[in-house]
Parts: sequence; structure tokens; C-alpha cells
Amino acid sequence: MHRYRFVLLRPLQFLPVIFGISIITFILVRLIPGDPARVLLGTRATPTAIANIRAQFGLDEPIWLQYFYFLRNLGNGEMGKSILYKIDVLNLIATRIEPTLALVICSVLLSIAIAVPMASIAARNAGRAPDHAVRIISTFGIGFPPFWLGLMLIILFSVKLDLLPVSGYGSTLGDKLAHLILPSLTIALSLSTVLTRSLRAAMIEGLKSDVATAARARGMPERIVFWRHVLPNSLVPTINLLAVNTGWLIGGTVVIESVFALPGMGQLLVRAIFSRDYMVVQGVAMVFACATVLVNFLADIATVAADPRVKL
Amino acid sequence: MNTPILSVRDLTVKAHLDGETRVLLDHVSLDLAKGEILGLVGESGSGKSLFCRSLVRLLPSSRLKIEDGAVLLEGRDLTEVSDAEMLKVRGAEIGMIFQNPTSHLDPVMRIGDQISEGIRYHQGLDACAARAAATEILSQVGFPDPLCQYDNYPHEFSGGMRQRAMIAVALSCNPKILIADEPTTALDVTIQAQILTLLMELRETRGLSIILITHDLGIVAQTCDRIAVMRGGKLLEQGPKRQILSQPKDPYTTRLIHSHPSMPGVEPVTEAAASTVAAPVKPILEIDDLHVRFPIGGSFFRGSAAKTISAVSGISLQIMPGETVGIVGESGSGKSTLARAVLGLTPISSGHISFEGVDLAQQKTAGLAKLRREAAMVFQDPFNALNPRMTIGQTIGEVLAVQGKVARVDIPDRIGELLDLVGLERDFADRKPRSMSGGQCQRAGIARALAVDPKLIIADECVAALDVTIQAQIIDLFRELAASMNLTLLFIAHDLAIVRNLCARTIVMYRGEVVEDGPSAQVFSQPKHAYTAALVAAIPDIDPDKPLLGNAEEASGSIRSIKRMP
Repeated sequence: MHRYRFVLLRPLQFLPVIFGISIITFILVRLIPGDPARVLLGTRATPTAIANIRAQFGLDEPIWLQYFYFLRNLGNGEMGKSILYKIDVLNLIATRIEPTLALVICSVLLSIAIAVPMASIAARNAGRAPDHAVRIISTFGIGFPPFWLGLMLIILFSVKLDLLPVSGYGSTLGDKLAHLILPSLTIALSLSTVLTRSLRAAMIEGLKSDVATAARARGMPERIVFWRHVLPNSLVPTINLLAVNTGWLIGGTVVIESVFALPGMGQLLVRAIFSRDYMVVQGVAMVFACATVLVNFLADIATVAADPRVKL
Repeated sequence: MNTPILSVRDLTVKAHLDGETRVLLDHVSLDLAKGEILGLVGESGSGKSLFCRSLVRLLPSSRLKIEDGAVLLEGRDLTEVSDAEMLKVRGAEIGMIFQNPTSHLDPVMRIGDQISEGIRYHQGLDACAARAAATEILSQVGFPDPLCQYDNYPHEFSGGMRQRAMIAVALSCNPKILIADEPTTALDVTIQAQILTLLMELRETRGLSIILITHDLGIVAQTCDRIAVMRGGKLLEQGPKRQILSQPKDPYTTRLIHSHPSMPGVEPVTEAAASTVAAPVKPILEIDDLHVRFPIGGSFFRGSAAKTISAVSGISLQIMPGETVGIVGESGSGKSTLARAVLGLTPISSGHISFEGVDLAQQKTAGLAKLRREAAMVFQDPFNALNPRMTIGQTIGEVLAVQGKVARVDIPDRIGELLDLVGLERDFADRKPRSMSGGQCQRAGIARALAVDPKLIIADECVAALDVTIQAQIIDLFRELAASMNLTLLFIAHDLAIVRNLCARTIVMYRGEVVEDGPSAQVFSQPKHAYTAALVAAIPDIDPDKPLLGNAEEASGSIRSIKRMP
């Protein structure tokens, strides 16, 4: 399985990447105007109190020294203390990561589940009514902003039909899934349009390709030609598109979590930014960045699995 | 002749394009006897591929329709049967192989699975039995280790093995008829001979009837029993091969036969070469111990120099001004790499290339600047080498503007002159490659090369993608240009016959080395190296009495083709 050797080697390449990410998030967070001590203590705080808080969190040190402490803490498995929640950032993130992770996974799976059939219908009927229908649906999906689409879905399914919960996150598995349906659907409706269009183009190409002709020439019915030869070949270029969009999606959960009041990392990030909770902002930003790196790594593995010609 | 297995009567195919109807196949009638190999000859656009697709009702577009005629397969009219029935005919009764095995094999499916797919579908065998049957077929078409190779993917094989795999796929369901659409056009001459031999063997062992589509009359002369000539959707003539080749009735057939490069053509340009021998001229191009190596398998951690593959290893050459030099060899022998290295398009690993005394490695900037002003390249694929968004005039004008040899105001005139030189109408300056044929595009490519006003032209397989008649025209053009402009021509081709006709001197490359170098007549008539002998013997001759391969079988025993078998 020497084609998969990169699975062991590639993570070593992540070290410099993550180091770079840590520098960038560290600096960017400190570029946000405002003083966390002042936000924490309010407008009527005395200068001494502010100075105390600043000293307590190390904010009066020079920035390179702050970064050094940050790295040292990271080595010890700590990301510093949240100014707002008074607990370690890593612990804080651990309590919030599940809804976000579940949301991303559900959204990706759901958008694949929408995109593959839609693209298949469109490609196999290219230029005819079903193709146009799929295109119109896709245009709607792209045209409406996700937050608006989310609100509309809430009004339809939760308020009018009373089928699904309005917002929040459950405690049991079934309850959690029920809470995830609408937010995932909101994301999937827009994500799947991008995938549908890419897949449709690749499938139309594939149906006209020599591979399909050769399969037809050996008597394969159109059904087998499509599912066994055209589909696997058209998935390959879509994998990377999905990876790029998933990276974008991880950041995009901020909006959806706000709309559906999901207690995930996106919400945590928003609140941390408002209260200048440096440690939390940089912690969440780092987790987001690492997740994006990880998603691309997974996409590489998927590409190698899907296309035997690819060597990494 | 016994009753034909396949009998086509008045087959007519029309294309319906917005209100306009074009006749693509015009009342074509043909018979194919059992165990017969029928050669279907014609240039691209003659409808020979379309004819074969129509037989199995696999028309390339829904706008094409079979309007008239009958395709009788053992008495059953295939134009009448239902679609479901047609699925059983394709593969199980009529198998097809195609020109380009690389694009017709599914790249993400194991070779063996593509063979057993048909067996399972048509014969209803279970996975195990189908695998056994597929393995058996793989060994029949010449896979040395079918048990293991069943699980390989197409990209792990060489072009020749891929074509063998295509044949295996087509044979998987024991068809009675095999349609082979230009099966060897994409292959090297030695591999071509092997594939043709395989087809003839299969005809013997399986009693297969074969329709062989080709543009190479040499192949037809060597393999077929009968010949049918097509042009513009019409069947011009058909008959036993000896009769057609010796007494062609149609003038087009005569022209086809005469444009075949193995015919003793015009004497190669020798005057220029002779004069260089007499006077002590400095070589225009001097290559000294050139090595080009490519890194393979290098990665982020092990550095880039982990392993290298040598494409050109230790070549020394001197090319005199005005010489026409042909470089031949199989694909992978390093001839294209050599050409690219000469033009500075591929970095050289060691050695020297001097162009008119300027060393390209030592005086890189000056040398390259000089080289690019005085040498030009013509590429293999005429379409892809021209920018599709630019008109031919813009393409040529760009070169003229960059070179600055011609004043800006004179550029349009110069473009006109260049088009005249390559035999294109002047109004081609306003056309884009899309609306031109392959031959016209290649002429434009040559005009672009001439725009530099070069002393040296390197042509890399520049006729490989063209039809024979067009090939002959382009070769004539090169011959005229070389003589009239005193050009030095470095002509790279895998088609030995073309090189023999065009070039005064031939260099044979094998595995990155020059194995033979000398006057063309001598290299081809008395090859010194066994590899050259094998190459020469593998050219399909248009004379049916000169057997294919000749002594190539024994030669290929001692000299292995470059193609690896994994």
C-alpha cells in the first residue's frame, strides 16, 4: 500500500503550517481594536484595576513575549485562560466542539446526498426539462443568503408545520439530530448547488467520453455505463471542490449557529470577539484553521482512493 | 466465397442540424465473410468510423439518424431490432476496439474487471467464474502474468499492453465480428506489428471476422483479405487487396497508394548535405555528451534528487547548416527530450549544447536569446500548439512583434508572405484554429516557426496526427522549404518511412542513446544495429508480398522494446 504512505508522512508537513497559523492568528487577534481589560471591567473601571487585570493575563508584556508564553502553554496542552469564562480555552472549546463538528459532517453528507442525484438527473437529461429544473433549483440555492434561507426553513418546518425544533441543541442523540436537520439543510442547500454544477459538468463530459463509448460498445446498458463508469470518474474532480468548500463552511458555521442558536464554536467565537477575549478567539481560530488543514488532508486520501493514477 | 456473416445494404446516415440535412453515409453496401479481414481505408472525415458505429447503432450524436438501408447480421436486420436486443449484439456478437486505448479504458477500474464486466452481464456468470474467464482471455492476448495483472489499472501498462487489454475486453464475450478502429495509429511501429500479428492470430484461432479501419495502406496490405475505400461518406471501391493495390479503379485510390510513404518517393535532399561535406563549415548545432535526467519519486522529505530517470544519456551530435536530419525511435527513446533540451525548454543535467558556437549552458541568457531568434519548433498537435483565442494572423504577428526583425508597419505584409510560403490563402490570417483542419493548422504552425526567419527548425512528430494525404503534403512543404531557404531541419518522427523520404541523414535513438547515425539510404538498407533492423522490419510495406515483421521477431528477441511490462 505504498500509494498511501503519504498518510504517515503528510502530518509532519502540518507542523510548519500549524506554526504559521499560530503566528498569524496571534497577531491578527491583537490587531482587533479595544482592550479586553476595559471590556471586562466596564467603562467606569479605575486605571489601577485595569492595570491589575492586564498584569494578571500577561497583556502588559511585549507581544513577542506573549507569543512565547502562548507557545509554552500550547506545549503543555493549554491555550491560556478565557478572560470571560475564567477556564482554560482548550476545555472551553472541548465543550463546544461537538455541535459544530456534527453540523459540518451532517451538512457535507446531506449536500452530497442532494448533489449526486440532482447532478445525475441533470446530466442524463442534459438540455431537457429535468436539467432546466435542476438549474433553477440550483440558482435559488445560490441566490438566497443562508441566514435568510435558515429563517424561512424555521418558519416553514418549525412554526407552520411544527415538525422540527426551532433552535438550540438537544441532549439525547435523536434529539440532537432533530435539532441538526434544519441547520444542516440550510448549509447543504447552498453547498450542494456548487457540487451539483461541478458534478453535472463532469458527468456530461463523462457520458460523451471514450470510456462510456467503449462500455456501450461492449453492450453495457446505459444504467451500468452511468453508475459504474461515468459516476466514479466524475467524482474525482469534485472531491477537491468539496474540500475547499468545507474549509469555507467551517468558518461559515458562525452565521448558521447564530441563526439556530446552536451552542457551538461559531457562537463561542462571536461572543469572544465582542468581549475581546483574546485567548478564546485565537484558540477557536486555530482550531478552525487546523480543521481546514485536516479536511484537505482527508480530501487527499479520498482522491487517492478514488483515482488509482494519483500519487502523492 | 461462403455466405457473408455481415451484409450491409445501402446504409445511409444523415445529420439533421437546425433545418439543414447533411448526408454523412451515402448508400454504403459491404459484405464481410466469416473469418475475413476487411480493410476499410480512407482519410479522417471519410465516414469510415461512422460506418462502423452505425453497424452497432452507436451514433456519436442524437442528431444523426440511420435513414435507409439494412445491416444484416446472419440474416437479422440490426437496424430493426429493439434497443434491448441491440445490447446483446454489442459485445456479445460484435466487439469493438478503438484507436486510443488510453482514453477508452476506464482509468479508475481494474483491467480485469473491465473484461469480466461484459462476461458477467452477457453470460450471467458469477464473479469467480467471470474472473477465471477474464484471466484466460488476458493470457490469450499476451499478458505474461494474467493472474496478477488482472488487478492492475490501465495507467500501469504501456500503450501496447493497453491495446491488448482493449482487445481482451472486446473478445470477452466471444463476438463473431471484431471492429478495429485505427487500432495501431497511436502505437510505435514495433508494437503496431505485434498488435497486428495478434489480430491475425485471433482470426485463425477463433474464426473471427475483422473489420480493420485504418488510414495506412501498408497495414491493409499486410493484414487484410479485401479492401474497401471510402471518401466523403461514399464507398468508392472494394475488392480483393491485390486487385485494389495493383489496379485501383478510382483516381482517389491511386492517389492514396502513391502518397504512402513506403513507396519509393522523391530522392531525399542530398545536395545541401553534400556541399557541407566539401567545405569545412562550422556545425550550426553541436551537442556534446548531453545528459537529461528527470527526478522521479522525489518528495518533500527525501529531497528531489532521490531517484532520477535518464531520458537522454550521453548524446554527442554535430548538425551542419542546411542538413535535414531525421531522428527516429520509439516513444520513450528520448527523441522529444533531446529536441526540447536543444531549444532550452528542458533543463539539461550535464553536457554542452552549442548553437553556432554559443554554448547554451555557459552563456545562458545570450545563448537562449540567440537561439530563440534563429531556431523554431513545430509541434506534434497542431490544434493545441496554437492559441485558440487568437487568429492565425495574431499568432504569427505576435512572433514578428517580439522578434522585432520586421518593422511594425510591415507585419501584415510579412504575415501574408509567410502564409504564401506554407501554402495557405492569405485570408487565413483572420481565422482561428477552431475553424481550420488539422493540416491547415499545421501549416499555420509552420508559418509561425518560419516567422522567426530561422536557420534551424525542429519538428517534433509534426505529421503524426495528420492523415496520409495531408502528411504527404506537409512533408513536401518541408522539402521545398528546406531546399529554397537553406534551412537546417531536425525532423523527429516515429514513422520511419517519412524520415527515409524526407531526410538525408537519419539518427536512430534507443533508450536515450544514439545507436545509429548515417545517411538515410544506408541506415535503412544496411542497418548496423539490431534495434534499427527491428524498426525497419516492422514497417508495414504496401507490397502485400513483403511479409510483415520480416526478421523483426528474432530481432525483438535480442533487443527488448523500451516498453516495460509490469
